[in-house]
Amino acid sequence: MPPRIPSSAASIAAKPTPSIHTHCKSCLNRAFSSTPSSQTTQLRRRMFAWLMQGPGANFRQPLANSTNYLSAYDKKGTLLRERNKKHGTSPAPSSEGPETDDMAALEEAAEDEPSLPKEDLEDLRPFPLNKSFVSQSILSDELREEIWKRVKVDGKSVRQVSVEMSIDMRRVAAVVRLVEVERRMASEGQPLAIPYAKAIHSMVPVNKLDARTRKPVEEHESINDLEQHPMTFPQIFWPTSESRAFNRTDAGRVFSAAPRLPDEQELGEDGKPVLEPWQDNKAEIIGKPGHAHPVLKPADARIPHPHLVAYEKDKLDPTLRPNEVRARYAERLQQEDSKRREFRERQIRAEEKKKSRIDTDRWQFVVTEVSATRAGTGLDGRGTKAPGFRYGVPSQERKKGQVKIPTSVQV
Amino acid sequence: MRNRATTPLKVKKNLLDQLKIRQSWSKYNLYNLSRLTRPSYRWKNFFQLKWLAKSTSRSYHGEQVREKQWVRMFDTRIRSVVPMDAKYLASNDGALESAGRGSGLERGDEPKSRSRGKQKGELPIPYMQMTFAPLERRLDTAIFRAMFASSARQARQFVVHGAVKVNGKEMRYPGYLLNPGDMFQVLPERVMFATGSPKLPPKPKAADEETEGEEITSEDNEGVAGEAEAEQDQARDDVDVERDPREILKDLKAQAKSILSSTKQDLGAKRKQDLRAFSKTIQRLLSRSGSSTILTDSIEAQFAELQNQLKIRRQNKEAGTTSLPSAQDDSRTSLEDGAEQSNKDEKDEALSGANGQENSLTDGEYNELLAALQSMHENPVDDSKPYATPWMPRDYMSAFAFIPRYLEVNHKICAAVYLRHPVARPGLAEVPSPFSDLTQSAAFGWYLRRS
Repeated sequence: MPPRIPSSAASIAAKPTPSIHTHCKSCLNRAFSSTPSSQTTQLRRRMFAWLMQGPGANFRQPLANSTNYLSAYDKKGTLLRERNKKHGTSPAPSSEGPETDDMAALEEAAEDEPSLPKEDLEDLRPFPLNKSFVSQSILSDELREEIWKRVKVDGKSVRQVSVEMSIDMRRVAAVVRLVEVERRMASEGQPLAIPYAKAIHSMVPVNKLDARTRKPVEEHESINDLEQHPMTFPQIFWPTSESRAFNRTDAGRVFSAAPRLPDEQELGEDGKPVLEPWQDNKAEIIGKPGHAHPVLKPADARIPHPHLVAYEKDKLDPTLRPNEVRARYAERLQQEDSKRREFRERQIRAEEKKKSRIDTDRWQFVVTEVSATRAGTGLDGRGTKAPGFRYGVPSQERKKGQVKIPTSVQV
Repeated sequence: MRNRATTPLKVKKNLLDQLKIRQSWSKYNLYNLSRLTRPSYRWKNFFQLKWLAKSTSRSYHGEQVREKQWVRMFDTRIRSVVPMDAKYLASNDGALESAGRGSGLERGDEPKSRSRGKQKGELPIPYMQMTFAPLERRLDTAIFRAMFASSARQARQFVVHGAVKVNGKEMRYPGYLLNPGDMFQVLPERVMFATGSPKLPPKPKAADEETEGEEITSEDNEGVAGEAEAEQDQARDDVDVERDPREILKDLKAQAKSILSSTKQDLGAKRKQDLRAFSKTIQRLLSRSGSSTILTDSIEAQFAELQNQLKIRRQNKEAGTTSLPSAQDDSRTSLEDGAEQSNKDEKDEALSGANGQENSLTDGEYNELLAALQSMHENPVDDSKPYATPWMPRDYMSAFAFIPRYLEVNHKICAAVYLRHPVARPGLAEVPSPFSDLTQSAAFGWYLRRS
């Protein structure tokens, strides 16, 4: 290897105290090192060729009114939709709302070419090798406001709004919560990231609000997702009697090793079950102490919206007229709502019962009853469930390797 | 940080299936992602297969997490859901499926695949893509997934630096495992910085001096000082050098430092004089270039004023004045090219309009003007920000832009709710991963050996 002598070494040697006047312009441009910059490797050259002139240039700026993922392009960097469009045309996506100036600039850039067809599932994959990950749509601002309005202004229950809009209940609740925070921040005059939000909404697929039906344009997600319970993972060979039908309730009992229900509990009068499977919401515990576990409920009871099963059953019933079906549905929702409210109140009351409040001039002391029984301390007296220090049981608090990351944050 | 998460372009023996992909929006990463190929499993034994799969996938999934930590987090149970159809559940209690020999009655004439009440019954559930699902629960990963940071490392930094709140409380642990229903917030300023295009460095010389001199602590002063430096350079280029620019700069810095060192309470008369002199110098420097930073504090007022004027005009027009569109055109062009100066033009214009000169806007023009004003108000030019203003998304961001469904994100307030754990469903896995099923299943096999 030849000795590495910097090209400016001679000049530096001539003037031992370099100052702003002694250095050339390029010397001042350098950050720290005085060694000559390394030559760009072929790899880097190829990369920049790909990024600047090649197919990578497509990703530099977002595509107007569309997503812009790797899978939407072929190796040469031509948009697959564009290529396919030459065979058949599809309606243009509509633009809405006031535009930011960057969006306007983008549109100006894209003005010479006609608008793109809507992307299909293939175009929505951000990772070309992963076929099972798709960029799914998010809720638009108007849709979020609509959800918030239905829950907060119209006073509908989250469950009802979820069914109306076909959006998961947890999402509905989260949207309401986030919109509340947004409104509070706006009223307090805190800075919002509006240009950022607009940019994101122009880059990811967005589910918009249909102005006429006041619902999402596309169905957002399935609301009746059944979680696969770990009890159902094993395959079981189970011989049953041919004279009796083997239904989902029975299958759940088999999976949880519970005996089949006796006939009188299973069937009421005129062959109908005593309790419809979707009404079954009481936990049944089975097994010896120490091995107790709840019996697996049928899918009808485990889905988030069991009342929809009842609604569909009513619809199938020829004796009921459509308006009756609707009335029963509304009644069921209301019942459910009041039941939930009652339950919550009962919970709060039970919690309050454990506490005693002592008012002084300045403070209110809340005293909570605790009991350190065998249930908490365990049979050997070393259990950690009951509060308090127990003699002879060292605290692990300051020991090495104790994880101090909180496991939950209370609101 | 223990290790450096680099995105090398070079791979051993040019094996493009072993490229390191990171949780990052960098252009290097994008290039690598575009080059990544399916793993070739020829001439490899089962152990090598699993090893390679695990090492390539772990360089993306939680590379900031120690291997031992991850091994403890790994779970063989994979969460999955099946969308159920209420109509199917209502019409069939499951007896149909268990009839015959236990897999439904078979009739010769029926096609083999019956509807099973699943909406996408035909698609398999990609369980193996959920191998790294437990890592998506981490706070730093969730922040990256919500697009609040440009990389998982940056998200981690935000958490450690105290810019993140969980359920309204500051959370400094990037390894905090979110529970369903947790809301996390990042400071909008940080998010705008992380996702916005970077500010161009003022000038290399100025940067040089900044590194060798002491840093000025206050943020806005820093911005102003940087501006001043740039102006200094410009001034020196324009006029002959009366004084050494370095000396001026040093003076300025020393002044700033001495002023900042004293708190506001004990400001003496001398200090106040210093302060006034300092601000005057800065103002003079800024005005030399016609820069707009001085007016930033009154932007709100200006905006309100402009809107007011526009409304007045509108009313005048409705009252029935004639139109003079050419002046409006001028005003709009000026609006587009500059920030506050155009504002001023506009204001003068508007005032003259209100004074009774005959000009008014058509509906389209009015709306356009209002939209332009609005966007300028929302996205102003502000040199004190650490990102380029007006805010623009950073380059090569759109290729990485997606929001997984287990998060509900409100980008305006930079807050998101972790709704539930990611799940697999027929045909879809919610864990974003650049790797194919083959890689993921081999990696799953690797981690199976412990549990």
